[in-house]
Parts: sequence; C-alpha cells; structure tokens
Amino acid sequence: MTHAVPGRPRVGAIARKVGGHLVRGLAMIWVVATISFVIIREIPGNPVLGQYESLIQKGMSPEQAERATAVLYGFLPTGNLWEQYVGYMGSLLHLDLGRSLSTPGVEVTTLIGHAARWTVLPVLAGTLLSFLLGVTMGVYAAIKRSGKLGDMLALSGSLLHGVPVYVIGLLLTAIFATLWPIMPSGGPVDVEFVPGFNAGYIGSLVHHAVLPVVTYTLASYGGWILAMKSNVVAVLGDDFILAAELRGLRRGFVFRYLARNAILPLFTILALSIGMLFGGSIFIEQIFNYPGLGLLLVNSISSRDYALMGGTFLVITVGIVVANIAADLLYTVIDPRVRSGGAA
Amino acid sequence: MKRLAAIVALASIVTATACGTTGTTDSAQQGGGVYTTIDGSKQINASAPINPFNPVGSVFSGYNGMALAWPKNDPTDPNQFYPAIARSWSMSPDRSEVVIHLQPDARWSDGKPVTSEDVRVSIGLAYTQGGTAYALDPKAAGAAADIQVVDPKTIRVTQGANRSSTFLANLLSTVVVPAHVFGKLLPADFWQTLKVAQHGQGAAAEKAKNQITGLAEKVIAFDPGHDVSAGPFVLERVNPGAALLKRNPYFYARQNIAPAKVKILNYTGNEQIWNYLIAGRLDNAPFTSVPTAVMDRIRDARGSKVVKGYSPVAVSLAFNQSHKPYDNVHVRRALAYLIDRAQVTKIASPEGGTPAATTSGIHAKAARAWLGDAFDTLEQYRVDPAKADAELKAAGMTKRGGRWAMPDGSPWKVRIHVPASFSDWVAAGKSISSQLSDHGIDAAVVTAADYTLYLGELADGKYDLGFWLIGLGPSPYNIFQRLFGQANGWQMFGGRLRHVAPGTEGNWMGGPEKVDAGAAGTVDPGDLTSRLNFASQDEQKRIVGVLAKVANEQLPVVQLWDYVNTQFVNTSRYTAFPPDDDESLRLSSGVWMQLGMIRKAEKGQA
Repeated sequence: MTHAVPGRPRVGAIARKVGGHLVRGLAMIWVVATISFVIIREIPGNPVLGQYESLIQKGMSPEQAERATAVLYGFLPTGNLWEQYVGYMGSLLHLDLGRSLSTPGVEVTTLIGHAARWTVLPVLAGTLLSFLLGVTMGVYAAIKRSGKLGDMLALSGSLLHGVPVYVIGLLLTAIFATLWPIMPSGGPVDVEFVPGFNAGYIGSLVHHAVLPVVTYTLASYGGWILAMKSNVVAVLGDDFILAAELRGLRRGFVFRYLARNAILPLFTILALSIGMLFGGSIFIEQIFNYPGLGLLLVNSISSRDYALMGGTFLVITVGIVVANIAADLLYTVIDPRVRSGGAA
Repeated sequence: MKRLAAIVALASIVTATACGTTGTTDSAQQGGGVYTTIDGSKQINASAPINPFNPVGSVFSGYNGMALAWPKNDPTDPNQFYPAIARSWSMSPDRSEVVIHLQPDARWSDGKPVTSEDVRVSIGLAYTQGGTAYALDPKAAGAAADIQVVDPKTIRVTQGANRSSTFLANLLSTVVVPAHVFGKLLPADFWQTLKVAQHGQGAAAEKAKNQITGLAEKVIAFDPGHDVSAGPFVLERVNPGAALLKRNPYFYARQNIAPAKVKILNYTGNEQIWNYLIAGRLDNAPFTSVPTAVMDRIRDARGSKVVKGYSPVAVSLAFNQSHKPYDNVHVRRALAYLIDRAQVTKIASPEGGTPAATTSGIHAKAARAWLGDAFDTLEQYRVDPAKADAELKAAGMTKRGGRWAMPDGSPWKVRIHVPASFSDWVAAGKSISSQLSDHGIDAAVVTAADYTLYLGELADGKYDLGFWLIGLGPSPYNIFQRLFGQANGWQMFGGRLRHVAPGTEGNWMGGPEKVDAGAAGTVDPGDLTSRLNFASQDEQKRIVGVLAKVANEQLPVVQLWDYVNTQFVNTSRYTAFPPDDDESLRLSSGVWMQLGMIRKAEKGQA
C-alpha cells in the first residue's frame, strides 16, 4: 500500500496525466487539421482568375498576366478530395506542410518560419507587458477601490477593454506615424541596416516594434486589470487575509498574500495567450504591415493559398493545444490545492 | 517593480537610439541619396527567390529586372518600345523574322558582358513557363519557331506559321537573365527537345513538351542566392518591409542614374501608400485609388505633385445575357440611357477616371485614334429617361404604380454585383442603383466578400449584372477579347476558334454568336476579334470599326468610365519626372532613370 505525499504528486500520476493530455492534444490537432482541410477546399473562388484580373487592373498586359497566372495554375492541387486528404495527412506525418501557391517554389514551413519570428517577439512582449501592467494596476485598483485612484484605474481598464484593437492601432498610427511622424508606419525593420548584432539594426527592430507592442499592450491591458481587480476583491474577503491583518503582518506581506492568491487563475489565461501568439494579432499586423503569422494567414486566405492556409491553421492549433497542456500542468505545479487533489 | 522599471528604461534607451539612427546609415548619405518608391505590380515577399521567373521573386522591373525593351504607352500600336538590353531591332515586312541588336556596353553587375547567349538562355527558360511568343504549340498565334545567335551581340528570332501582329511586342518583353547563373537550369539537350516539341509528331512531340513544361517548377523555385543584374541597380537586401537596391557600376547607361540606392517599400493596402505620400516619404508611387479628401492631404505634402496620363483600362457594367430580361437589347439600351456616367464617375473615381464618352469597348483616347470621325457617329447614350421608357416598352416591360415590372408582370429586381474590397466600384454601384430607383426600377447593390470570390461567381453565371474591366489596349485583340472572348463563349483550341453555349465553360456573358452589324452585314464578333491577332494595320482598323459599332449597338456592357493613370511624385529630393501624358508614365521609376529622367533636386527647388 502506497501513500501519497501531500503536495508532491507521484511520478506515475504525472506521467499518466501528461500522457492523457498528449493523446487528447493529438486528437484535437487531427480533428482541427481535418476540419480546416475540408473548409479550406470548400471556399469558393478561383485563385487563378483572381490573380489574372488583379494583375490586369494593375496595368499588366493580358499576355504578361496570363503568363504569371499560368505559373500559379500549375501548382493547383489535383485529385479528388479524398486523395488530397490522404496525401495531406501523409505529408503532415512527415512534417511536410506542402508548397505555397502564392509564393511558388517556397515551402510552407519556410514561410511560416519566417513569419513566426516577426510574430512571437512583439506579441510576447505585448502580452507580458500588458500582463505585468494589468496585474499590478489590478491589485492597486482593488485595494484603492474606494478612492479616486481605484476608480481611475478601473475606468482605464473598462475603456481600453471596450475599444477594439484596430481602433487603438489606427489612432496610434495616425498620431505617431502620420501627424507627428516619429515612428515608422510599416515593416519590421529598416532595410538600410545590415542584419546582425549591431546597435543600428537592433535599434531599428525595437523602433519598428514599439507601436505594435504598445497597441497590443493597451488592447490587452484592460482585460488583465479588470480580472485581477475582481480576483483581489474576492480574496480580500477571505479569512486568511483577516487573520494576517489581525496578526499584525506588515502591509507588504498582506499585499503578497493577496497577489499570489488572486493571480493564480490568471496564469491559465496567460498560458493560453502565449499559445495564441502563434496566431499573431491579425489586425495589428495588418495595420503596421508587420509580416507575422496573422498577416500571413490573411494573405493566404485572400489568395486562396490552400497549403499555406492549412499550415498556418495547424501551427496556430498546435500552439493553443500545447499552451493548454502547459497551462494545466503549470497549474498542477503552482497550486497546492490542485496538486493534493491530483494525488489523492 | 524594480525589474519592470529597468525593462521600461532599457526599452526607452533603445528606442531613443533607434529614433536617432533610422535612415542615417553612411551609405544613405553618399552619392545621389536613396530614392524611395513602391512596386505597384506586386508586394514584397522576402521569402521568394531572386528570380524573375518566380511571380513574387525579389526582382523589380526596371531596377534589377531588365527586359529586351520597355513598352511605350501608345494608344494603338503595341509594337512601340524604348530600347533596354536591346539597343535596336528590325522586323521583316512579313513579320516572319526579328533581328535584335544588344547594347554594346551592357554588362552584368559582376562585370561579365551581356551576350546573345544570355538572351537565348532567357528565351529557353521562358519556354518552360509557356505563353505568348514562347508557346510550345506550333499552331499558337505568334509563337517563336527558331532562335539563332548571329554574333555575341546579335540574335535572330523567327516566327512560326501562324503570324501574330503582337509577335514583336511579346518578343521585346522578354526578361533577360545571366546565362552563367541561370543556364544550368536548362538540360544539355534542351534545344533539341524544344525542336521535337515544336515540330515533331505524336507521342515523341508530347513527351518533349512534357519534358519542357516539367522544368517549370525547377525554374520558378531556383534561388541564385545573390543578385546578378544587368539593370541600373542590384539587390542589396530585402526584408518583409522593403527591398534595398544599390547602383550597378556596370550598367550601360550609368551616367543617367542619379540615386545611389533605391528603397522599395512594401504595402498591404492603399491606406499605407496614402500615409507614405502624406508624410512625403515616397519619391514616386504608381497609380493608387485615392478619395478626394486624401488627395487634398497628399497635395499638401511638401514637393508633392500629381502626374496624369493615359491608362488603357475602362470599367463597365456587364450584362449576363443568359438571364432575363438582359437577353433583350432594348433593356440593355434602356439602362444605358438611365445611367448618368458623369455622376457615377464623380462619385466613384473623381481623380482616377473620366466619364466614358460613349460605350464602344475602347478607352476614349484609343477609340478616337482607331475610329477617327466615326467615333462621333456612335450613339452616346446621354441620359434620356424618355428614350429609356421607349426602350423598356419595346422590350415588353410594364410600369405599374410607378415601378417597372417584367413583361409577365413579375417584379423586376436589378441586382448589381461588386466585390466589397473595391470601394470605387461599390460607390459606383450605389450611384447607379440610386439613379435606377429614381426612375422606378427596383435596384440594389450586392457585394461579394472579395475579388477572387466575385470573379469565380461571375464566371459561374451567378450574377445578372457585374462590374468588368474592358479596353485593355494597346493591342486591339486585347481590347475586344474582353467583350467577345472567352467570357462571351469564344474559345481558342489548337489554333481553332469555337463558340460554346451560354452558361457553359465560363461563358457568363451569353451574347449571340452572330449579330447584325448594319452595313457590315451579319458578323461573328468573336471571329473578328480573333482575326485582329493576324490582320494588317488597315484591316485592323476596319475590324475595330465594326466591333466598336457592334459593342455600341448590342451593349454587352455599358462603359462607365475610362481610367486615368494618376501617379504621385515628390520633387523635394528628386526632380525631372516625366510630364503629364508622357509615353513612359506606366513604366517604373527605374526605367525613367534609364531614359535619363530623375535628377537630384537642388536645395529649395521643390
């Protein structure tokens, strides 16, 4: 007969839990891959015709446009839907996402790889900044909820939570890139700088990332502050806070008790938000012409690039599934109540 | 909190550094500065190879991408070109042979001379992509049959039996790549295989054709790693936001090139181009649709100027004649009499279009050149509600309670389809529907989610009326194939024309195969259009006259407005841009530079 050690889950239990998550995650990925495969191929519209007409409208002669579109036509998927599905799943097993239609001759994995690096850092920075700012301000808003500071902080959260991200982005662009042009309005870095670990290039990277990161931070900040404030207010009524105050603990300790307990539920959302990184932020990337995964997805849809659409959907799905599993495991580790429950 | 403060402080320092350094590299300050523009024909794709055969490759026409010659913006003659890699050319009177003389001083950016062998390899690579002069089908109009290197700077190209009037134009548009970089893509027996594909018979010919087209994928995907260009610039670097090109020291007309570098900015939508222009960041931007309010702000930017010229494109409202009541010419004419084209243009495209003078299928400037005085004899379809009523009555339509109905009394609902992403077309559609509603016709605009979907549904015959681009000159065949080509049932198979039934095989316009053309008798408009490919100049004029009259009377479309090529230039940093209506206006800034335009602006010149 074995006994569980409180607060320390058994290795076997953890392995079972991880295994279960992996199986469920893989099933989820398969379902999403299948659904996206079918939906993508059912989207109406002929990409070849669209490409031809677009080129003509841009002033290209019909011969030139025909030649350019013939190139695309040669890469359209062939075979019936079932054959395409079997081929698609077979390729996935080899981590082969196929070749792009809109960028002929280039692997989808290459395109996704290039786009991912422009998404992950800015969105990660925006997520973490908004989390830190929102959580900190949320605690203050809860503690000072009867005062003006608390009201102002809560109001800022409500306002920013209600304003759509593209409105924030467009406002910042109008102010800082057009009216008072101190910030670049497009692209991830100034092409004049030689890529590498040098001050000019890194400075340019940061300069171009400022507006997208600020937009993302402002757009997400409202959610964090409101959630944190609500959690802190709930924790404030708990007995252990009253006990701590009666014991005469310093305000700093009470604050730490509050924050640690109130922040726990937000970790799951944070983990999921990080998983969503792989989807990028479509509106932000469009507004700032930031060439991340969100923009790649939008462009692939408008050009009916089946392979690229499927690949991008899949990467986003995998990101979310992995984040989900990580969030669940993280919760097991950081919350003693879940840990002991799991071991019981 | 201390950590947060440290992160914020660090970010501030780096941001301040960036603000102080952007655009101030040493190279940007030397020589003729950095010329900034966008490429209107494609968006930058940093993942694509530096390869002109890749449709999104990092090769920019006129900068690091060179053709044999550059087309002039002539309203009627598609064979008018400026020299480029080809210094001069001559065509035999029967169009069977073209001899091309290359620039004697042309060199690639690695110092090697540009030779006839480069052109021959480029033509070989073009065959793997198919189309125009390089079709593998020997019956295809205007196909090149033989390529001969006469000497290192002279090449002769012979046209096949089915001689096209646009052969020279298609030949001169050939993009030239270095044989010492791209030549390895062609197998050693390529030219022998090409001969079998073009002149052989049966299975051997088919196998040879498959071998050549099978090379297409390899050619498109080829990535040379670094750029070797014969143009005025060579690609230095590209990222998703921009491409940077530096001056090619070996360019044959390097004395004409003022800027030391060119920066081509990427864009994802018109709004970004507007912002660049308002901020004065672009030295030139090609045609971009601009609302009046934005245009005013662009004009306010220091040094900003607008250059306008001819653009051989018009927009029309096309009828699906398979659907009632649009199969009746009187209904089509009635709608033409009810649409105020001037008002539609004023609302939809005040800066980028002029109201169509009439509806002939041709842009007004080209129409006058083709038709002369006959242009004025065409019915103009000025707004005339009385004539519209008479036409509707002639079609058997009835008016009850102030609303027009179908001949059988059922409601007549005019549904105008447009892609939602084209704001000017949506505005035009709304203007037309409003005008028709004022005349008792139940009309509304229906939008498709995007252009791809729109074209797919249009081709599937799902729409009654839809917007359609026409008048794509200068080749008269290109102009009329939009009205009497594949979309109207005429298809070319194996060099033979056939007409397919309305509603089948992409025939969504559904017009009759033969029509009464008055003095010209009963004509087959598709056959006449096809003949424009081969006809002499005089015969072309006669055919264009007949087809314009047929288009004017039968109204497969109502021509709404003719586009105007509206370019933006900024004279703060550079000057000597082409003037209004210049023949080079539709070419890139890189070609303008080659032609001796674009000089550094003196201080205070803007």
